[in-house]
Amino acid sequence: MAFMTLFIITGAVAVAAALGLLFARNAVYAALFLVLNMFALAVLYLMLGAPFIAMVQITVYAGAIMVLFLFVIMLLGAEQLKEDGGPIAWQRPLALVLGVALLLEVTYFVFAALGTGVRLLPPPEGFGDPHAVGLTLFQQYLLPFEVTSVLLLVAMVGAIVLVKNGRARAASSSEAGEQ
Amino acid sequence: MAQPTVAAPDLAARFPEMVTPDTRKGYSGYIVKAEALLDFAKALKEEFGYDYLSSVTGVDYLPQGLMEVVYHAYKITGGPPLVFKVQVPRDNPVVPSVTSIWPGANFQEREAWDLLGIRFEGHPNLKRILLWEGFWGHPLRKDWREPYYEGEHKPFKSRTAGPHFWHEDHNPFGKNVDYPPGFDPYTWEPETADQILYESVIQRTRKPEQEELHSEQVVVNLGPQHPSTHGVFRMIATLDGETVVALEPVMGYLHRNHEKIGERNTWIMNIPYTDRLDYITAMSNNFGYVLAVEKLMGLEPPERAQYLRVIMAELTRIVNHLWAIGFLLNDLGAFFTPALYAIEERELILDVFEAASGSRMMNNYMRFGGVVRDIPEDAWDMLVKLVHDRLPRKIDELDRFLTHNELIKSRTQGVGVLTPEQAIALSTSGPVLRASGVPYDVRRAEPYGIYDRFDFDVAVRYHGDVYDRYLIRLDEARQSLRILQQAVRDIPERGAPILAGKPQYQVRVPAGEAYGRVEGPKGELGFYVVSTGKANPWRYHVRAPSFINLTALEAMSIGNKVADLVVILGSIDIVLGEVDR
Amino acid sequence: MDTTLLLEWTIKAVILIFILLTGFAYLTLMERKVLARIQVRLGPNRAGPYGLLQPVADGIKLLFKESIIPAKADKVIFVLAPLITVIPALVINAVLPWGRTVTVFGRQVSLYVANINVALLYVMAIASIAVYGVTLAGWSSNNKYALLGGLRSAAQMISYELALGLSLLGPVLLAGSLSLVDIVEAQRRMWYIVYQPLAAVIFFITSVAELNRAPFDLPEAEQELTAGYHTEYSGMKFALFYMAEYVKMITVSALFAVLFLGGYLGPFESQYPWLGPIYLVLKILVGLYVLIWLRATLPRFRYDQLMRLGWKVLFPLALLNVVVTAVIVVLMG
Repeated sequence: MAFMTLFIITGAVAVAAALGLLFARNAVYAALFLVLNMFALAVLYLMLGAPFIAMVQITVYAGAIMVLFLFVIMLLGAEQLKEDGGPIAWQRPLALVLGVALLLEVTYFVFAALGTGVRLLPPPEGFGDPHAVGLTLFQQYLLPFEVTSVLLLVAMVGAIVLVKNGRARAASSSEAGEQ
Repeated sequence: MAQPTVAAPDLAARFPEMVTPDTRKGYSGYIVKAEALLDFAKALKEEFGYDYLSSVTGVDYLPQGLMEVVYHAYKITGGPPLVFKVQVPRDNPVVPSVTSIWPGANFQEREAWDLLGIRFEGHPNLKRILLWEGFWGHPLRKDWREPYYEGEHKPFKSRTAGPHFWHEDHNPFGKNVDYPPGFDPYTWEPETADQILYESVIQRTRKPEQEELHSEQVVVNLGPQHPSTHGVFRMIATLDGETVVALEPVMGYLHRNHEKIGERNTWIMNIPYTDRLDYITAMSNNFGYVLAVEKLMGLEPPERAQYLRVIMAELTRIVNHLWAIGFLLNDLGAFFTPALYAIEERELILDVFEAASGSRMMNNYMRFGGVVRDIPEDAWDMLVKLVHDRLPRKIDELDRFLTHNELIKSRTQGVGVLTPEQAIALSTSGPVLRASGVPYDVRRAEPYGIYDRFDFDVAVRYHGDVYDRYLIRLDEARQSLRILQQAVRDIPERGAPILAGKPQYQVRVPAGEAYGRVEGPKGELGFYVVSTGKANPWRYHVRAPSFINLTALEAMSIGNKVADLVVILGSIDIVLGEVDR
Repeated sequence: MDTTLLLEWTIKAVILIFILLTGFAYLTLMERKVLARIQVRLGPNRAGPYGLLQPVADGIKLLFKESIIPAKADKVIFVLAPLITVIPALVINAVLPWGRTVTVFGRQVSLYVANINVALLYVMAIASIAVYGVTLAGWSSNNKYALLGGLRSAAQMISYELALGLSLLGPVLLAGSLSLVDIVEAQRRMWYIVYQPLAAVIFFITSVAELNRAPFDLPEAEQELTAGYHTEYSGMKFALFYMAEYVKMITVSALFAVLFLGGYLGPFESQYPWLGPIYLVLKILVGLYVLIWLRATLPRFRYDQLMRLGWKVLFPLALLNVVVTAVIVVLMG
């Protein structure tokens, strides 16, 4: 019973945070709502018996990625969102259509599952602890893991190259200006 | 102590009709016509080697209807000054700016504009420097009257006799405030003054390609309320990220028009008043002022007084350099430990000062023709011990603790570099100049007092960065100890006279002008005084080294990080009492 | 889940928080005393004997100070930021093992609030969210100094977290567990500072940087940024930032002791488990003293130097350490 209460509270927080993210007019607030959402998800993971994933969720998403988001928002001073619908006119209708589609999909699967009466098995012993996650990651899913790493590396190198180019151009143009 | 003589070739012949010798009684140098000033200055710098412009100031000769700008130029290799003046009518004082030839004239010309209303044509940034933007009038003009105006001189005649009124009785605000015409305090936007400042900064730094890059520059005010500007001082720094692209020092928050007050004091009343300039180095300030007035009076202090003056001046130098090093480390982020170690020694030296003069900081020790009191015997023993034992040890200790610290090195080496050419052109002096590789020390270049008798080296360092400006202060403190050890050895026996003539409350100073300068701990401290034979100076100008060294602040700062700004400022070693006067 | 267990946890948590808060108060006094001694001064000695009541006086002063919120500040976040800073600093201590199991009133009580098998990950996760408080404080103050301070802290913490995390892996690899209790127990034979000197040094340096203490105190660099992110804070809200900093100092010293100095281990500890907490406190005090000593003697890094040190020196070294340790662990079996 306590478990159920906790689940409902966490779920409510997650949904509320997600809605807050959508409707916040201030980008900093939006980012903070997203952080809250991540936390709620981490608690859900904990309740599913996966403390490792929960901690990684907090460290990586809340602790690293969202901090960078905030950093960029603050650095650019882009807290206030514009009132109009953004650069692309058909963005909102499209988002609405896709959102409704997703909702329908999820509802369908939930009800389909309810109908079959399949019960989830309790997780096996040691599920989700660092040892198990490590083994799964480096044995079963080694190739996808490595491919993802390479992808991230490429993205990083690309970012560096882009910045370097911009710097070089700025330097050469300022030299030209001084001459 | 002869009047400075002109050792240059006959400039009057070089510029016929444009340049004439100054023949007024008690005056020296040349009078240059305003239209020939720039040619004259160029020739001085390029043909005759007067590459160091020490002092620029103005004098208001109200009775003659003239406004005079006085320049003191030196050769960086040493020797007496070349004094030249430009006279312009009072009602329209316009003089060409010499900033294109000597960039170091920048702040001094602004000061002359601010206080005397002399316009310098061609000055890159001619606006008020010590007073606020909305100030009305130019207070050093002899006909300028302040609120609560009481009289030309102190003690004020109006206090004892004569009809007088309180100026503020006629002021609707009933306060000690005199508003400029057309000024309404209720509608005035306080941002206006800042707007003028910011716009000049932004205009100088904006480059066209920055528009397309969208890299936004931030203007950050460091100060006036800031923990590490050493007082109420403000730096308007334009930052690109954390890199400084432009910087404008803003000062005058502590301005009290020292010079105006000095002109209403009697000659002798100014001695304690000089203590308040750079309150760390009161003894040096006394020294510079009495030297200038003694030149006018033709006084020569007795031997023992000469030695006492040197002893006090050199102790002051050690005090100042310890203080400067300690607080430079503070600016670097060391949490007070080096500063407190340094101040411990300062306290012991102040004990000696207290015993000799009666005060630890506001010493008021020197008089025209000598010093006011001899040093007591027990304090003398203390002094001898300090000079021979404790101070050398403690300076070595500071050296050992700080000089080879990796963090200090990485924070200070190559930071805030000033090239020798810049240092000379920007009229810097003292440790700032010598750390840039220019061995110019007034004690050697134009010895005053009895400095020609002592054996010491002019400390010099060659990198011109903050680290060298730190090292040179240690070097100089050690050289000061050498001088002190010789002075303590050679001083005449106790009981020898310490004052020429008898002590008096009022001195007669013959008419004329004099420029007395000493090598203060912070740089060349000069006093330009003009006497009309009255009880007060007609003109009393302080060439403040902290103030003029700040001219170089922007040159040192550009391209450095914002964190280095306070370090660079700390390495110049300013005291706002002297900067703002 | 029986109620006595729940009660036991609650009591332990309350006691821990009480210890941390008292520790914070007296750590400020210790810092001022030690600093004063290093600087040839006496330090606070007026309030109570040896100045022992000074923290109380400070606390009362801060409590009664006017709490100012700048007019153009973002009020909600401005108020939340100190809380976001202080809560992680406190909850991170939940996994610290203070000793082994002792018997209290005939009941076996383990001297830690929680022993979870991902304790170190928990520490990393909580440490990584501590940056929010500082960053948000800087942003919400609507002040350039504060914003620069907040941004600096964000960049600094992210940079140093990587090396910090990697340096933690050394002890983890040796002990084969992420649980702090297991790591301490694995040090019975020899402290890990002997096996992992490089990791210990890197952990110490990076955690000083995470703490924003000298010589890495750039986010609150007084000389450049007045007080950095907490420029606009006053009264209790300021005290909370202060508290977070000092509690984190205790935490870092404790973590260092646990990971590299054998935690609660010491002579006769196996016979008398009560000695464990005493040993740990002594080890923490040594760590705290070193932190204060650093502050008293070192000038501050410049921002770019700090970044260079983090990315070009500490990060590669930490990575190297992990690789070497892993290889050795595998070879030794």
